[in-house]
Formats: sequence, C-alpha cells, structure tokens
Amino acid sequence: MTSTPDRNSLTAECGSATDPAVPALALRSITKSFGDFIALDDVDFDLRQGEVHSLLGENGAGKSSLMNVAAGLYAADRGTIEVAGRPAAIRGPSDAQALHIGMVHQHYKLVMPFTAVENILLANPSGGFEQSLQHTRQLISEKADLVGFDVDLDKPVGALSIAEQQRVEILKVLVAGANIIILDEPTAVLTDEEGQRLLEAIRKLASSGCCVALVTHKLHESLTHSDRITVMRNGKVVETVLPDRVTAPDLTTMIVGETLVENRHQTTVSGKQRLAVRGINAARADGLATLNDLSFDVRSGEIYGIAGVGGNGQSELVEVLMGLLSPSGGDIQLDGQGDITGTRADERRRFGVACIPADRQGFALAGDLSVSDNFSIGGVLSGKFGSWARLDRKSMARETRSAVEKYDVQGVRSDAQRSALLSGGNAQKLVIAREFSGSPTVVIAHSPNRGLDVRASAAVHGHLLSARDQGAAVVLISEDLDEILLLADRIGVMNSGTIVAEFGAPADRHAIGKAMVGHG
Amino acid sequence: MADIAKPRRFGRINLEIRDDMPMWQQSLAFLAGVAAGLAVSVLILIASGVGPGALINEFVVFIFTSPKNISAVLVQAGPLIIVGLSAGIAFKARFWNIGIEGQVIFGAIGATLVAINNIGPEFLRLPMMALFAALGGMLWIILPALLKLRLQINEIITTLLMNYIAFNFLLHLLYGPWQDPVSSFPHSQQFESFERLAPLGWQSLNMSLLIAAILVVFCFWFMVKSRFGFQLNFVHSNARMAKALGVRVAVLTLAAALLSGALSGLAGFAISAGIESRMTQSFFIGYGFSGILIAFLARNNPLGIVAVAILVATLMIAGQSLQVFYQIPFAMVQLIQAIIVICVAASEFFIRHRMRWVD
Repeated sequence: MTSTPDRNSLTAECGSATDPAVPALALRSITKSFGDFIALDDVDFDLRQGEVHSLLGENGAGKSSLMNVAAGLYAADRGTIEVAGRPAAIRGPSDAQALHIGMVHQHYKLVMPFTAVENILLANPSGGFEQSLQHTRQLISEKADLVGFDVDLDKPVGALSIAEQQRVEILKVLVAGANIIILDEPTAVLTDEEGQRLLEAIRKLASSGCCVALVTHKLHESLTHSDRITVMRNGKVVETVLPDRVTAPDLTTMIVGETLVENRHQTTVSGKQRLAVRGINAARADGLATLNDLSFDVRSGEIYGIAGVGGNGQSELVEVLMGLLSPSGGDIQLDGQGDITGTRADERRRFGVACIPADRQGFALAGDLSVSDNFSIGGVLSGKFGSWARLDRKSMARETRSAVEKYDVQGVRSDAQRSALLSGGNAQKLVIAREFSGSPTVVIAHSPNRGLDVRASAAVHGHLLSARDQGAAVVLISEDLDEILLLADRIGVMNSGTIVAEFGAPADRHAIGKAMVGHG
Repeated sequence: MADIAKPRRFGRINLEIRDDMPMWQQSLAFLAGVAAGLAVSVLILIASGVGPGALINEFVVFIFTSPKNISAVLVQAGPLIIVGLSAGIAFKARFWNIGIEGQVIFGAIGATLVAINNIGPEFLRLPMMALFAALGGMLWIILPALLKLRLQINEIITTLLMNYIAFNFLLHLLYGPWQDPVSSFPHSQQFESFERLAPLGWQSLNMSLLIAAILVVFCFWFMVKSRFGFQLNFVHSNARMAKALGVRVAVLTLAAALLSGALSGLAGFAISAGIESRMTQSFFIGYGFSGILIAFLARNNPLGIVAVAILVATLMIAGQSLQVFYQIPFAMVQLIQAIIVICVAASEFFIRHRMRWVD
C-alpha cells in the first residue's frame, strides 16, 4: 500500500494530535522472537506528545528490536500498536510512514554519491524531478530552521561528516511528515559537542509537539535530556522512571542488574620509551593531507590517550601506525627494531604491534568466517597451529574455546559459528582475545568502546589496563573524552592532524576540550 | 488495514534471516535447487516434443546403464573439473578470472609447441608438454594480475580481452606456421602416440581424468588444509581487513591468479593431448564460461566442483544425443544449464532465510 505523506508544516502537524492524555504511540504486550531467541517478551512502551522518552539498556536488551517493531521493520509475533489511541496495523515501513512514524537507524541509509536533497527526495518521491527537487529543498530548509540544523544540501552525502549525515537522516524523516520520531543511538558516533547540539535539536522537536524515542547507552544524556526513561534488560522492561527521581548508579543497576562503576587507576611503572612517532605527514588516498607533522611517544607500561574531535586524522593515524598507509614524511621508531616506518602490516604484527580498530566489521573481523578462524588468524600468521602444509584445526578450536571463556565472549554456541552473529560487545571481546593472545608490546586501540554497553565497555577497559600493567605501550585514540580521562596516563590532544597539546593525568577536562576545538 | 489487535483465526508466515544452517541442510537446499531446475527443464523438453519416456531413456537409462556413456561423461568431466578448479581458486582470492578460455588456448599452445618441435626425450615429452601448458596459462594471466595489483586495473576487463587476443593468435598459428602439412586443414599435425595421454584401459577413459583427480587433491589441500587457503578465506572475506591483520594480500592474490592460469593451461593440455590429440580451432569453446559456472555453483569448494562438473558433463553428453536423435538444438542444453543455475542461485534464499509459521 502506498500513501502520500502529509506535507503540512511540522508545528501544525504535531499540534494536531488529539487529547494529550492519550499517548501518541503505544506498544502493548509486544512479543517478538527470532527462532528460539525471544528478543521482546511482553513489552509495553508508550510515547506522549511533546516528550523525549529515553530507552536505555545493554546491547541486545531489545531496544532496537522494539523500535523496529514500531517502525514496521519487524512484525511482532503478538501484541498491539496504537497510534493516537487508535489501533494500528503496521505491516511495513510505508505503513509506519503513513502513521507519521519515522526512524533514524544506527547505520544510515543514504546514497553516498547523492546530495542531501536528492537523498531526501528519493525517500519521499513526488511529481516531476526538477519541480519536486525545488519543492523538497524548500521543505528541508523549513524543517532545518525549525530544529536549527545546518547542512550543506549540495555536497554529495559521502563528503559530509558523520554528524551532518545524521542531520540529513533526521531531516529525511521530518520531510516525510513524521511526528513520532525514533532515534537509534544517535549520539554514539558523535563527539561531546556534536552530541550536545543534537540533543538540543531533539528538545526543540519535542517542544514543537513531536514526540521522540531516544535509544541510547549513555546514562547522562538520558538523565539530562529526557522526560521519561524506560530501562530494558533481556527483552523485558525493567521500569519506566522520571529522570529527576533517579541517579546514574540507580540506572546502572537497573540496566545490568548490578552496580558497576569504573574507577581510574594510574600506572605505577615508568618504563622506557617503546614507541616514538616523529613528524609524521600523510595524505589520504584522495590526496587530502590529514596528518601534519604529528609527533608523540609512548613508554612501556603506560596508556597514551589521544583525544580529539573525530575527523582530525585519527583514522589515518591508526592506518599509519598499522602500516596500511605510508607517510610522506617523518618516521616511527620502535624500541628494539629501530625505524619501522617502511615496514608492512604483517612485519609490524611480528614486532608485537596489536590493533583494536574502530571499524570492527571493516578491519578486525571477517563476519562470514567462524569465530575460531577469526581468533586463530593471528596465531596462524605467527606460525602457530600446525605447519604451512597442514593447519591444526583441533588446537585452533581448543584455544578458541579457552579464549572465549577467558575473555567472556558471550553468545558463542560453537567455535564454528559465524562471527557476524556476535553482538558488538562480544565481537569486540573476540578481537581483544585475538590481539592479546600474542602478548603484544604495543597496543593501538581506536574508540574501543564504540557501540558497547556499560558492562562490555568496562570489560574492554579492564583488558587494556591489564595489557598496560604487563608492560605494553598502549595508544588509546578515542573521541569519547570520558574514556580517555578514565584510562590514559598521559593525554595528547589531536587537532587538524597534529598533537596540539599534552597533559599529564589527571587532566583538566576543560583544558582538553579547549585544545580540541582550538586552532580552528 | 486489518487490525492486529483482533485475535486471528489464521497464522502467518514470518520471513526471518537465518543465523546459520547446518552443512547437510545446505547440501539439501542445493540438491532441491538442482531438482527444481531439472523439473523445469523436463517440462520445457516435453513441450518441445521429447516424450517423458524418451527423456528418462536419454538421461537415466542411456547414460547410467551404458559403460560407454558413463565413460563419455567422465571424459567430458575431466577438463571441466580442471577449469572449475581454475575459476574456484581465482574467485577465492576475489580475482575475477574471465580469461580461462584464453589461458586454455595458451595451455594448448604450450603443449603443442613442445610436441611440434620435439622438445625433450620421448619419455619426458608428456611432462614437458604439461609444464609448458601450465606456463602458457600462467603467461596469459600474469599481465592482468600485475595490472590489477600494481595499477588497480579491473581484471574482469583485461582477462576478458586477453581471450580475444589468444583466439586470434591461435587462428594465426593454425592458418600459418602450425597448419597440418599433411591435410592442410587449419589444425596442427596429430600428436605422436607418446605425446598423447595414455588410455586407462576402460572404455575411452584416459590419463586426463587421473590428472584432474590429482589436481582436485592438490586444490583441496591448498584451499582447505594448508595455511594459504586459510589466509585466502580472509582475502575473500575482506581484502583490506586481511591486510590489516597481517595477511600478505598482494602475494596471495598473485599466487592464486598464477595457479588459476596454470590450471587453465593444464586443462588445455588435457583436452589437446587427451581428447583431440592435436590443437584445433574450436576445442576450447565454452570451457571458460563452464568453469565460471561450475565454480559458482560449487561455491569454490574443490569437492563440490567435482560433483557439479560431472553434472554439467552429463547434461552435455545427454544434450548431444538429444541433438542427434530428437533434433533438439544445442541451445536447449545451454538453456537447461542456465535454468539449473538460476534455481540453485534461488535456493540460496532458503539458506539465508527461514520461513516460520506464527499463530
């Protein structure tokens, strides 16, 4: 079934909802299972007009599944959906759109070579191309003004930053006429500052009469930016609470079922210098210079944190350190190996360099290969698990099983299971299990807690700290300042492809923030 | 819009993404795909005038009860297995070798070069021919491989174009320097008896089948048992990631491409020294695409390649008799192959998805 979305102005639309006592969206007794796995078990959730309602929970708690039911992507096994008090049948995303429900997914659904206007038009087709292009452009600027978004409409979306792409996604659902807006982990990929701006925009949306469901991991943003908080665990709703009646530790307890607080603990050793990066210049494949005379050094037994707003050369720095991108100037010295600037990725691995990249599916795990294969590749490359002529699959499986147990990788039913089936946190634990199995002397970790819940993130941090305590030099590159402040023994701030300031720990958050945004 | 609040009398089918499927179920889905393809093909053949009885006769009784036909199928399967392995190994490294036909031609040219010029003593002649065939195949793939690795030039285009060069070079040889001096036909002179693959002593089977078997064992070892194959799986999955993990992607890709070329070259040797006993201008036709098709259906698995190659060979042989006795055009055989490929490709849907009844 097709329906042309209502194209009234946002305020008129959102204001047109009926009785404020009737929830704009109500999900009742929703049950959804995938095979034997029950993702949602008799879940109730409602959204009132004009509110921001946070949905908190660990990875796999069922938050996204619940929202996918509302957005028409999953059909519930049982349960009912009411929109503005009336029962609704949502059989697909187009039904949801007709009911003014719009969802922004964690992974954006954008056509990268198209501009923002073209992307939004593609999702909301109407009339002739040229004509509707103009019309859409006008609609977009209305909506953008309303929420205070600033987006370049004529650049290919692929050339926009993550935060800008997200704004395009949000504008897409607004132009489609949505007044029930679901945002799945919108701040996970944003920096502090960008996240703050987004949360303010969300508040504007709500005060214009829309309602927003905010799926998140982050306790503080649900405490400060929402009207109600619903906590989910294991496919069930734990409780719906008001933010001024709870504290962060209360929420943590509800989320994980136990209290969990991470504490800093500073390094006690002062080892000798392990890794020295001197005056690195590098350009991306498209010729854009991204690293500019970048220098830092790391001693063994310390975590060197590199803070910075995303897109200031972090990804390129990781590639240079891993040997995937050759710098056009400068050099990298490794204690015991001398100058390793010209060495390949496989040679660096042999020197004891391990890497936990930010893009797990793209750089760390082969989703279609088994857990055992993904764990063993490191060992196989360093000459373990049989000879060149014959792989010893039995000992691969055996070591995989013991690593899975040691690193508490959940959800592994067999070592032959495809690794794509692991959730984010468990996939990350598998990466760490592999990277640390070779007792690395240098660890490069890029946003290791990205997309992880509280518990998985604490486990990952624990592993980084124990690697440090065993004498590894750890480079922690993260856009999450909390993570840097929690773990790093020394902090360098990266801005425009270079380290602009260094701080000893414990460092002043504001001073770091200032260095992050300074220099233009 | 129906109201989902109301209890319904009838359930519905939910379509779900499957996590995993046990190997035996996957094989079953594959066989069901083949069966569905054959069923559709039978309908088409009946519609074109071949009676059901005649079909059973041609495909089942005639092929599987007559030793002569069984051996004809196996003889046909030999080179198909080898080109299937060639495609499988290249595809495993995500090197899309469309140039198998050209490499088969250069394999045959290599073998014929040895035979015509009497290179080496007689007892070493066949091994020399095999060696030159493998080198010929490698020669015809190394340029596209280096262009891809050095300059990122798309190998689909280069390997495809190399086919045309190889074919025209072959015609040049057969109408020029290598034309049979005895008959003046555009083919090379017949190979001496010690330049032909010896019969195995049962029907028309010869050593080419044994060569195919040895190559299957080699490829199984290389792709499944050895450290190379393990790393190749990562290259197949995501080359950039494999590189980040320390796999030497360029070296492995080059090795896989060269091996693929060598295998195609050996297929050229097996056909010219085992079936035709000379180099002709059409012996290679269709092998390139059959190889791609076989590797695709077998998902690059060496043992699967054997099974699919035998199936394709059966179709070819049965097709020949349909052609002769029922005036069915050979295009019909190709149609049947295509239908089976489509059905098997469609069966992937059931491997990736699950239909579940929900009440």
